Amino acid sequence: MSVPIHSRPLMVLRLTTSATQDIGSTPQGTLTIFPVIGGSFEGERLRGKVLAGGGDWVTAHGDGTVTLDLRVTLETDDEGLIHMTFTGVRDDANHYFRTVPRFETAVPKYAFLNRLVAVGIGEIRPEGPVHLIEEIL
Amino acid sequence: MNTRLLMTMHVKVGTPLNIGAVPHGTRRTAPLDGGTFEGPRLRGTILPGGSADWLLLRSDGVLEMDLRFTLRTDDGALISMRSFGLRHGPPEVIAALGRGETVDPTTYYFRTMPRFETAHPAYVFLNRLIAVATGDRRPEGPIYTIHEVL
Repeated sequence: MSVPIHSRPLMVLRLTTSATQDIGSTPQGTLTIFPVIGGSFEGERLRGKVLAGGGDWVTAHGDGTVTLDLRVTLETDDEGLIHMTFTGVRDDANHYFRTVPRFETAVPKYAFLNRLVAVGIGEIRPEGPVHLIEEIL
Repeated sequence: MNTRLLMTMHVKVGTPLNIGAVPHGTRRTAPLDGGTFEGPRLRGTILPGGSADWLLLRSDGVLEMDLRFTLRTDDGALISMRSFGLRHGPPEVIAALGRGETVDPTTYYFRTMPRFETAHPAYVFLNRLIAVATGDRRPEGPIYTIHEVL
């Protein structure tokens, strides 16, 4: 039996990044590191800020795609800490920017995040990257 | 979020190996002995050897899956597929699955996030997409319905 795919909004994540660290051309591609120095996230079930100290490791490949590898710490407005990572792919020629976030937390109120898979739709805006993250139901 | 069907995959699971209690939970591995996949844009078989599932039952009752497959399309292309997945549900449903019963797949959560790698020009679109799959654990092996995230 085929189970249909349904999703619902989890959060909108806005990231503030500082000057990039350009590692350059490596055997894996062209690596650019975007340090994350802040940001915010907001959804019906959780909201708060992105702590400084994370980053996104972004590799541009020869086929025109870019892969992402992000890790950040989220702090909810009631002081819960959530470790968040995502990998993703960006294909600017096709306006495609999608990520697969994962969450890890010890806070019981947010433990539902440990048990879900999610998809993010990314956008590059003048103020920085914005990710519309949906829970896969 | 918009999606479209990429393929339906029927997987044959071999005899699992119980690694046992590890620091993060209970580890088991299962060889994937074959199977088939079929969708509007590709179809073929799962190659045994190099296809397996590394399973971790976490202390919170969630089963984490780390799947690797090698796919061969009907026109001879090789595609490497890796997925991360989660499975959990009410204890009685998970117990029924454990006994090898057929269970309504809407009564538990079984979702995976496949990624693909291929060098074959006809299938390079797979290198550029994110996908989501729903799973249906049958006694003979799982059925994955894989959707491309548009």
